Amino acid sequence: MSAFTSSRTRPTATLTESITSQGGARRHKRPYDTDVTRLLPRWLLITVIAVIIAFIAVPVLYILFGSVNSDVAVARGEYFPTEFTLANYVNIWSTVALGTGLLNSILTAGAVAVASAALAVSTAYVLVRFRFLGRLTFLRGLLALQSIPGTLLLLPVFVVFSNIASATGVQIIGTRWGLFVTYLTFALPFSTWVMVTYLRGLPKELEEAARIDGASSTKILTKIVLPLSWPGIVVSAIFAFLLGWNDVLFSTIMTTPNTRTVAVVLQVLGTAQEGGAVPIYGQMMAASIVCAAPVVALYLVFQRYLVGGLTAGSVK
Amino acid sequence: MTATQTRPPAATDRPVRPHGKTPLYKKERPLWMLLPGGILMLAVIVVPLLVGVFIAMLDLDQYTLRQWFSAPFVGFANFAEAITDSPLLHSIWISASLAVLVTAVTVPIGVAAAISTQNRFPGRGLVRSIYLIPYVLPAFVVGTFFRTMLQPQGVVNAIFHTDVLWLNGSASYWALAAVMVWTSWPFVYLLSLAGLQAVDLEVHEAASLDGATWWIKLRYVIFPYLRGPLSLAVIIAILHNINNFTLPFVLFGIPLPSSVEVMPVLTYIASFQSFRFGLSAAMAICSLVIVAIPLFVYLRAVQLDTGDDARPSRGQRRLQRQQTGAAA
Repeated sequence: MSAFTSSRTRPTATLTESITSQGGARRHKRPYDTDVTRLLPRWLLITVIAVIIAFIAVPVLYILFGSVNSDVAVARGEYFPTEFTLANYVNIWSTVALGTGLLNSILTAGAVAVASAALAVSTAYVLVRFRFLGRLTFLRGLLALQSIPGTLLLLPVFVVFSNIASATGVQIIGTRWGLFVTYLTFALPFSTWVMVTYLRGLPKELEEAARIDGASSTKILTKIVLPLSWPGIVVSAIFAFLLGWNDVLFSTIMTTPNTRTVAVVLQVLGTAQEGGAVPIYGQMMAASIVCAAPVVALYLVFQRYLVGGLTAGSVK
Repeated sequence: MTATQTRPPAATDRPVRPHGKTPLYKKERPLWMLLPGGILMLAVIVVPLLVGVFIAMLDLDQYTLRQWFSAPFVGFANFAEAITDSPLLHSIWISASLAVLVTAVTVPIGVAAAISTQNRFPGRGLVRSIYLIPYVLPAFVVGTFFRTMLQPQGVVNAIFHTDVLWLNGSASYWALAAVMVWTSWPFVYLLSLAGLQAVDLEVHEAASLDGATWWIKLRYVIFPYLRGPLSLAVIIAILHNINNFTLPFVLFGIPLPSSVEVMPVLTYIASFQSFRFGLSAAMAICSLVIVAIPLFVYLRAVQLDTGDDARPSRGQRRLQRQQTGAAA
């Protein structure tokens, strides 16, 4: 499943190896990896890597530098900080309700991650292991739903939710539940698709053995499929989490000041700066880092799974 | 008959079928497990989609929103207004040209990045992690700090000693394109990486024995392997770029400069700034037609099933033919 792990498995006996093995010790000194498969000459390789890393690092370091610089200095267009201050990291919590935003985002996106992984694994299990009428239609539908733009659905979802509110008296818009249901549904097609590609790779034999021993489908799912598919579940949960965390479209419309996610709070901070006389760019950079930190941490911890899951979700 | 009578009573409860007729996996199908996810997707995606089509034919504003089904029915008037009397066609042009331009620029960057990390070297893992940073950062964060960098007094103008208004006027188009390139190229990189894994060692050896230089080898041996994954990457990237709402919204704020008035933000403004809900829904449906072209190609190219009853789709077969034909 992982694009990275497959590079480790190499054919055992190859032409190069059989040639170099006649030379005895040379084989160990020069692994074929650096020889025949080399794609770029050394100078070009270094140039390409250096250029791309600079392309990435210049803006990324700018946020880091800006967050420890004074507001006025960032507004002047300074790249390297002339003075070092951590005041921005202290002030952001009182300038806007960043703490509330973080809490809302963690609650909503976290709940979405758990629920979507649970639903995705059971849905994918049925789609992969059983044959039934409409199965291919369901799979095709998942792909189609995954590609429907959110802007197309924003207004209708808003209308449907506000009608449910006026019909039943249950307020949905402005609550965390409304966001939860929306994000969960939008995360499901992709999460399910990731699980489908993952479960396909699992051997059937264990489940068949369990079935012969008399286990029910539910039992097989919880006792056999679940323990085996943790990597896939983690990937689909994280993608669902990111969907909730990164969304701006729905959260600008469907939240009140109390239920705002961190993405909206950052926008509020941006507009607060435009109204006031003193620019608070330094604080904006600090708040950006606070917003990005959980996502980057998740990515660093689960990097291997995520990369493979992303490629599998779109290629296969 | 004697055999049936001697059978233990427990066994008669279950009819014993001749073996081989019903495979084990067909006996108990927990199809109910599809229900929770299926119902959610039906209720929050499919039903609103149909509601959206209906709203597009209503003259709906903030006063009639609560009783939207009793709003005046105007047929295709909203569509006519969207096409003839709104910035929709202008936005479609901007969105589509941005998507194609950005994707075209990201492909060489992504391929170069993938090729540069294909061979092992000390620190390769670190380089690969760094490559994904622009993709991992949330779009609203990327928009926020580029907005700061692109301010008239900001760091971009300070470094280049220029005085360009990046967030207003015609330069904003190029500013948006550049930021979109910055965040989206790692996706092409990821899919190219997957394509490069498919190159066998024997192919490298053959190229090496034939004395191919690095460029000849890349051009005629390696690139053909990337054609399949790259076509997929291009389609998905175009789809994502057309639908990108967050980046222009955060980078420029509302109202957008007219040269970056992209489709998603235009429909957003029509409904939640000017409260022309019917018009906005009509715009969204018109824009879906544009999205439908890459979407259709994508759905044809994706392999739905690798099970026993799998049949490669037409697009899949074409991709395979291209790959094998080019590799041969």
